[in-house]
Amino acid sequence: MTDRTEPRRAQVGDGRDGEGREGMSLIQGDSQPLLSIRGLKVEFDVPGGRLPAVGGIDLDLGHGEVLALVGESGSGKSALAMSLVGLNRGPRTHISGVAALNGQDLVAKSEDQLRKVRGKDIAVVFQDALAALNPTQKVGTQIAEMIRTHQRVTRKRAWERAVELLREVGIANPEQRAKTYPHQLSGGMRQRVMIAIGLANEPAVLIADEPTTALDVTIQAQVLRLLKRLQTDHGTTVVLITHDLGVVAEVADRVAVMYAGRIVEQGTRDQVLFAPQHPYTRALLSSVPRIDGPAQERLPAIAGSPLSGVDRPSGCAFAPRCTFAHDACNSAQPALIHRYGMPGQLDACVLGPDREKVAVS
Amino acid sequence: MTTVAAVVPRRPLRDRLGTPWLVVRRLLAVPIVMFFLASAVFVAMRLLPGSPATSLAAGGASGDTSAAALRENEAQINEALGLDKSLAHQYGSFLSDIVHLDLGTSFYGGNSIRTLLGGALPATIELTVAAMLIAVLLGMVTGVIAALRKDTWIDNLTRSVGTVSFSLPWFALGVLAIVIFGVWLQWLPIIGRMPSALDYRPTTNFVLLDAILQDRPELIWPWFQHLILPATTLALSMAGFITRIVRASVLEVLGDDFVRTARMKGLSGGQILRRHVLRNSSLPIVTVLGLQFGSLLGGSVITETVFSYPGVGNMLVNAILQRDYPVVQGAALAIALLFTLVNVATDLLYLVLDPRLRKA
Repeated sequence: MTDRTEPRRAQVGDGRDGEGREGMSLIQGDSQPLLSIRGLKVEFDVPGGRLPAVGGIDLDLGHGEVLALVGESGSGKSALAMSLVGLNRGPRTHISGVAALNGQDLVAKSEDQLRKVRGKDIAVVFQDALAALNPTQKVGTQIAEMIRTHQRVTRKRAWERAVELLREVGIANPEQRAKTYPHQLSGGMRQRVMIAIGLANEPAVLIADEPTTALDVTIQAQVLRLLKRLQTDHGTTVVLITHDLGVVAEVADRVAVMYAGRIVEQGTRDQVLFAPQHPYTRALLSSVPRIDGPAQERLPAIAGSPLSGVDRPSGCAFAPRCTFAHDACNSAQPALIHRYGMPGQLDACVLGPDREKVAVS
Repeated sequence: MTTVAAVVPRRPLRDRLGTPWLVVRRLLAVPIVMFFLASAVFVAMRLLPGSPATSLAAGGASGDTSAAALRENEAQINEALGLDKSLAHQYGSFLSDIVHLDLGTSFYGGNSIRTLLGGALPATIELTVAAMLIAVLLGMVTGVIAALRKDTWIDNLTRSVGTVSFSLPWFALGVLAIVIFGVWLQWLPIIGRMPSALDYRPTTNFVLLDAILQDRPELIWPWFQHLILPATTLALSMAGFITRIVRASVLEVLGDDFVRTARMKGLSGGQILRRHVLRNSSLPIVTVLGLQFGSLLGGSVITETVFSYPGVGNMLVNAILQRDYPVVQGAALAIALLFTLVNVATDLLYLVLDPRLRKA
């Protein structure tokens, strides 16, 4: 696990209690969800069989909310998000299930149909902006290309809009910056350019795939605040893929914790961070240093390692690493339902309420 | 990387000065390279067994000339050509002549080397440039197709044909082309650069240019016909090589993150290829072009001989056989200069294609 070596802020559960999130009940409200995922599976052909990267997921996304997909590397969070826009489609990928954006199933769409959705209704902000931007094109050109792909505007108008977008993402002197190449910008500015590309067509959904991982800690905070501000201003729904619980604490409305291709816990940010139900979530949280916690020599680590092979146990995937696993855990795949958590909080652990112990151990 | 990136936007003036300075620096290196080349050619010619005097004297002698008479004849010739002087002296005057742009005169017939090169160099430039264009076009198209159809029979076929074509020696290809297209099918001319019946009086000796300058468009078609076979012969091996480079390079770029970004934008496959893949994957090709141009020039020596094409290569081969030192030196220098200039050009093309390199 890289989690422990990476610099991280310590505001996870640092005492500020959540100032009542208005967004938390959007899903339970009467409005139709913007994006509705049912039974989504993503499998990759690998030597030795099919790797179930995403193993049947149900998830709803409301208008204008920030959903954090949290999990270790290989937990399937990126595979899930990329399958929405079909960016991981290929001869070795099998995607099944339903992902309906405003009632239109994205999984069933052909590549040509999906192309009209990409960049327009759903856009992605990638992790490493230096690699994700074309090194031989001016950044203005790359933003304008996004605009002209989906809007019938002149080259000049698209360029002007690109400059406006650069200004909006907080880049000083945008007229000049638009004419520079990615390598001439700092890491933070490149990520801002990436965000400008993502927002160029005012998409309904913005997938931010570890948007701050490649940045310095101070820059991370700036970029996160920018992302949050733009999300609020434009009412964009954001799917935030991250393994950084500090990031979750800062910007997420709701959280879905993934383990081995499944969601093991889901709830509002405060429910998941302050009243975690699933042993995995608890273990994850206890492996994060807390500024108000006792000074510890070593942070607790989760024993064992995540599932990586093609074979999955018939029961709970976390059971082999879980301190509290017992026979019931291995009999069947636990469903993600409301159990002992707070209202609206879902988890996939068959153990009784006494799994409280996990947090203290 | 990051420090440089941080500095550049703050100093736009230097950024703008950087590129012309790079150009000047590359051009300044040319004379130095030429000096070493000239010296190497000078030494190499003197190391060859046989001498111009021997061949000239033998050429002028009849069967019953005595050995003593031959030797005396040789001595006279050596004196006349300045070959009786010390090597150091010959080298010195050779270098000083070059500096004064005087390449000397041929030992045979006394034509000035400049005149000879004026006729032959344009012919060779036409041939090699045409070959390069054919090779790049052929190699790019097949390489891109092979990459896009990776691991299909199309890919395998393209790669096999590419491998075969760059394994075939030029003389074999040339003879094959002559036999098939010239002798059997009789589609194309196989000898020379222009039909001998055509009245062509060169101005620049670049036919395309002369056709415009002299307002004689009828020159173009026969010239083009004569160029096809030798240029294609010369191009095929390079094309096979480019195919492989392009395939590998396109495959690599296709896996790059910015191609995924382009897909995320909703671009079509063709748009992604044109706007994002081709330019980025052409970078390694440009490097290869510059280096391969050297072997293309080597190939042109053979191809020109096979097709009796009046270029520098042909001139060089005849001059070596006759130990015509000044002509060999002149031809070799011309070829070297061409190679050096093409490499400067490819270096500059690099700057055009990759903005990351545009700083001093």
